[in-house]
Amino acid sequence: MSNIRVIVADDHTVIRSGLKLMLGREPDVEVIGEAADGRQAVDLAEKLRPDVVVLDVAMPILNGIEAARQIAAKLPKTRVVILSMHSDEGYVLKSLKAGARGYLLKDSAESDIINAIRAVNEGKAYFSPEISRLLADDYVRQLRQRDVDDSYELLTTREREILQLLAEGKSNKDISSLLDLSPYTVETHRSKILQKLNLHSLPELILYAVRKRIII
Amino acid sequence: MRTNGVKESSAESRIPLLFTTRTALLIGYGGMLLLLAFSGLDAIQVLSQMRTSNGSIRQEFLVRNKRLDEIRSAVYLSGTYVRDYLLEPDPEKADRHLKLLEDIRSQIESELAAYEPLVRPENRGPYQSLRSEMNSYWKSLAPAFRWDSAARRKQGYQFLRDEVFPRRTTMLSIADRIGGVNERELTAGDQRISDTFTAFRTRLVAVLAITLLLGIFLASGSMRHILYLERTAAQHLEDVSEARSELKDLSAKLLEAQENERRSISRELHDAVGQSLSAVLFEVRNLLAILPKEPASLRVHAATIRGLVENSIAMVRNMALLLRPSMLDDLGLVPALEWQARELSRRSGVIVDVTAENIPDDLPDELKTCIFRVVQEALHNVAKHAAARSVRIRVDSQEDSILLSVQDDGIGMEKDRHRGLGLVGIQERVENLKGSVMVSSEPGKGTVLSVVLPATAMARAEA
Repeated sequence: MSNIRVIVADDHTVIRSGLKLMLGREPDVEVIGEAADGRQAVDLAEKLRPDVVVLDVAMPILNGIEAARQIAAKLPKTRVVILSMHSDEGYVLKSLKAGARGYLLKDSAESDIINAIRAVNEGKAYFSPEISRLLADDYVRQLRQRDVDDSYELLTTREREILQLLAEGKSNKDISSLLDLSPYTVETHRSKILQKLNLHSLPELILYAVRKRIII
Repeated sequence: MRTNGVKESSAESRIPLLFTTRTALLIGYGGMLLLLAFSGLDAIQVLSQMRTSNGSIRQEFLVRNKRLDEIRSAVYLSGTYVRDYLLEPDPEKADRHLKLLEDIRSQIESELAAYEPLVRPENRGPYQSLRSEMNSYWKSLAPAFRWDSAARRKQGYQFLRDEVFPRRTTMLSIADRIGGVNERELTAGDQRISDTFTAFRTRLVAVLAITLLLGIFLASGSMRHILYLERTAAQHLEDVSEARSELKDLSAKLLEAQENERRSISRELHDAVGQSLSAVLFEVRNLLAILPKEPASLRVHAATIRGLVENSIAMVRNMALLLRPSMLDDLGLVPALEWQARELSRRSGVIVDVTAENIPDDLPDELKTCIFRVVQEALHNVAKHAAARSVRIRVDSQEDSILLSVQDDGIGMEKDRHRGLGLVGIQERVENLKGSVMVSSEPGKGTVLSVVLPATAMARAEA
C-alpha cells in the first residue's frame, strides 16, 4: 500500500514544521508540500494532487474553510482535514459543508492528527474526541431539556445501517454493493432518513451521526 | 469647581432680572389700570355734578322769576290802589283803598326782602336801584295820603299823572332789567356747565392719550421681551438638542470603537497568541516524542509543560470568545446566535431556540454586531433575573426592516422596572441605528424584548 501523500497549510512556520516532523515519523504518511496561506494551499494541491490536505482555519489571503471549498470542488479525490482553534459546531458544520471530512482542534493529541489523516484517506469522517464529546453532550442535553423523543427511534434497522455507512463516507454505489441492494433503493432509504431526522444534506447527516456517537 | 461657579453666578444674575421685569410690568400695567379707573371715576363725578348744577340753576331761575313777577304785579296793583284812592270822593271808601295800599306795600316789602338772598352779589345793582326807587316812590306818595277829599279832587289826577304813573313805569322797567339779569344768569350757568364739560373733555383726552401711549409702550416692550425670551428658549432648545445628538453620536462612536477594539484584541489573542501557543504545544509534543525514557523526571516536566500550554490555549480561546466571538465575523449572525444559545443552555440548562428567517450571510457589520450584542444582553438578563425554563430568539429580515425578539417564560417584571436591567445599553445600541425597542412583561407572564431595526441602517452600514 502506497504512502498517504499530505500537504500541510498553516501560516505559522513553527506549526508547519512541527506537523511535518510529527507526520514524518509515521511510516505510511508522506508530507509532499507546505503552504503558508489558503491560496498557496489551493495552488499546490492542484499541482501535486495529494491524498489529504491539512488546513488551518485562520490563514491570511484565503482562510482554511474557503480553501477547503475550492479544493473539494476541484479535486474530488483529495480529502481535507481542518485544523481549528474553535470547538463550536458552527465551525464544524461550515467546514463539513465546505467539503472537509476531518475537523481537529489545534490542541488535539498527536495521535488524533494521524488518525484523522488515515480516516479521511479512507473516505471516513473524523473529529477531535473533544468535538465529538461536545456535540454529543449538546444533543443529549437538548433531547432531555425539550423532553422530545429521539427521532433516531423512528428509523428502521436497515435505515440505521445505511445512516452509519453514509456518515462513514460511503457512496450510494458502495452501499448498494455492500448491502446487495439496488442503488435506487439506497437512494430512497437515504432521502427517507434525511426526512425522518429533519436533515437537509450530507454534512448535517455526518454532524448528526457524530452527535449520536454513531461515528467517532 | 469652575463649572459650579459659573452656574451660580448665572443663577444670581437671572433672579434680579426676573425681579425687575416683574416690577416693571406690575408698575406699567398697574399704572395704566389706575389711569383708566381715575378717568372713569372722574367722568361719573363730572356727569352727576353737571346734572345737579344744571337742575339747581334752572330751579333758581324759576324761583327768581316768580318772585319778580309777584313784585311786578304788586307794584302794578299798588298803582291801581293809589289811583282808586286819589279818585275816590267818599272818604270812607278812600280809607279802605288806603288800607289796601298799605297791605300791598308791606307785601312788596316782604317780597323784596325775600328776593334779596336770591340775587348774586355781582348783580346787586338793579336790585338796589329797584329798592331805592321803591322807597322814593312811597316817600313821594306820603303827602298825598294826608289829603282830604277836596284836595284829592283838586290835585289827584294831576298827581297821578305826574308822580305815580311815571314812577310806577320806572319801577316796572327796573323789574324788567332784573328779569334781564336773571336771563343772563341762566345763560352764565349754562356757560359754567359747558366750561366744566370742556375741562372734563380735555382731561379725558389727556388721560386717554397717556393711557394709550403707556399701553403702546408697555405692549411693545412686553412683546419685545416675549420675543426675546422665545428666541432665547429656541436657542437653548437648539443647543440642548444639538448637545444631545452630539452625545448620541459620541456614544455610537464609542460603541463602534469598543467593538473594533474588542475585535482586534480578540483576533490578536486568537490568531497571534493562540497560534504561538499552538506552535509551542507542537514543539513540546515533538520533544516528548523524542525524549529518552530515562531520566523519567525529564518526561514528567515536559508533560507538565504540555498540560500548562493546553490550558493556556483554552484560556486564550475563551477570552477571545468573550471579547468578540470570531464566528460573528467568520460564520455570520445566525451561527453566532446559535453559539450563544448553546452556551447559555450549557451553562444554565435553559432551553434556547433560535429561529432565523431570510437573514443574509453578508449582513452589514453594524447590524450584525448590534443584534448579537442585544441578544447577548437579553440572554444575560434572562439568566440573571428571569428564572426562565426556555427562551425563544427570533430574527426575521423583512423588506425594510429586521425584527428581533427575545421571549422568555420566566417570572416577568413590573412595568416600572422595564427600563432597568441593561435595557439602557440595548436602547443605546438600537437607537444608534435608528431602531426601536419595546419590552412587554408582567409578573408571572415572562418577558418579551422586541427590537425593530430599519433597513436604512443596512443602507447606512453598507455606504
